[in-house]
Amino acid sequence: MSQVICVENLKREFVSKKGLFKKEIKIVKAVDGISFDVERGEIFGLLGQNGAGKTTTIKMLTTLLAPTSGKCEVFGYKSFGEENHIRSRINFIFGGELGVYKRLSARDNLRYFANLYLIPQKEQNERIEQILKLVDLADRADDLVETYSKGMIQRLQIARGLINDPEILFMDEPTIGLDPVGARMLRDIIRRLKNEGKTVLLTTHNLAEVEELCDRLVIINKGRVIAEGTPESIKGNYNSLEDSYVEIVKGVSA
Amino acid sequence: MIKVIISTMILQMKQSFARPMFRFCLIANPILNTILLYEMFRESGATNYMAYVTLGAGLMGLWGCICFSSAGDINRERFSGTLALIFTAPARFPIIILGKIIGNTIMSLLTMIISLMTSVIFFRIQLQLADPLYFLIALLAAIISFIVISSVIACILTLSRKTELYMNCIEIPIILLCGFAFPVSVLPFGIRIVSYTLAPTYAVELMRMAVWGITDKAEFCEKLLVLMILTLIYALISAFLYKKIDRSVRIAATLEVA
Repeated sequence: MSQVICVENLKREFVSKKGLFKKEIKIVKAVDGISFDVERGEIFGLLGQNGAGKTTTIKMLTTLLAPTSGKCEVFGYKSFGEENHIRSRINFIFGGELGVYKRLSARDNLRYFANLYLIPQKEQNERIEQILKLVDLADRADDLVETYSKGMIQRLQIARGLINDPEILFMDEPTIGLDPVGARMLRDIIRRLKNEGKTVLLTTHNLAEVEELCDRLVIINKGRVIAEGTPESIKGNYNSLEDSYVEIVKGVSA
Repeated sequence: MIKVIISTMILQMKQSFARPMFRFCLIANPILNTILLYEMFRESGATNYMAYVTLGAGLMGLWGCICFSSAGDINRERFSGTLALIFTAPARFPIIILGKIIGNTIMSLLTMIISLMTSVIFFRIQLQLADPLYFLIALLAAIISFIVISSVIACILTLSRKTELYMNCIEIPIILLCGFAFPVSVLPFGIRIVSYTLAPTYAVELMRMAVWGITDKAEFCEKLLVLMILTLIYALISAFLYKKIDRSVRIAATLEVA
């Protein structure tokens, strides 16, 4: 297997200024020197408490944010400076109801993003039909997204994330808002992507999901890696990954 | 590239027209502007209402739509979580923004027609358009210039999250500085200098010249040339800014809502 993601001593700080005359500068270290790598075809989990730095890390890898320092490479290209080599080969799904045009239909949304991903017209129709079926939205494909339920919007997000047949799919808490049937459908999609040789980098708070899906994972806390390995190795002698996770985070926070 | 522009234009038109505020800017605003300007000009002694009332109201409506749509769209995209998606799509971001702006501008041209209809239906204003061909040239130049200006504005607004504040700040000053509703010559000298660095000033003067009838073709061509040069300068600034913002927004993290 070849390495497709390489992160070394990656840092990202956010600077905020407060006050009208005497500016008070506040620096928040969202990611504070994390390192990990992901092999092609892996399902890789990025775990941590809220505010641990998972989303910031994903945003740096998906070329949305510039790192403050450190190495952040996808397919051997820097995510900041060489992003044009990366963007057409990846896609990302952020949890929640954002990231789609609600005054368009699902089909129009997918067609638009297919155009933005420069997918030839001939391939577009077939791919859109396939994806709509995959996420179980074919029946409502021509209805406006604003009439959709939360779960349906989330499924459309997943469809949008698959539109360019990405080699790496980044998913940030993708099961937020999904009902159990939707969540299972997503897990099936992730497994299917793995079978097709795709790489998935996933953040979630659902540890049973991680145990079920991930080949390897890292746990980050306050921007730093506090544990890494396979779900089995991290679980160790504990009954579940959740027990192990809680103890690890508690141990670091104590 | 063409396909990206066209699909973005269509998306933009659908999205914009679905918004009540845009429909207000597009339909109600030019009607109200025409009534306002007509009442202002009634006692002025000026005879060619077309030059100031109809054209002025149409341009004010057009500019309003551009401000609150082309500029405001950046914020709408940011809040709907799609700004990050279009920014990182393989189709280049400036091309996507261009498609949005062209879509909005084309639709916003309806303000000119509504202003014209209001003038005729409500006030029985006789339309005096002495040189339709020159007017068409001036209008085309004005549209291109508005598209380029919108592009610069949209680009700057990508950098900041205070978009709504800025777009409210630029609407009225441009109407006043560029002489949409009155000739720039009535402004104080110091302000006129600012007016003549702005491309819409020339666009408005060119259209007004065509309405009155071109008496000096050299003057028309001279103003058209200045307008084209200014538009080109704005386009270069826009291209430079897009290169800059590509890095800056990712350093400043302004693509999304904090």
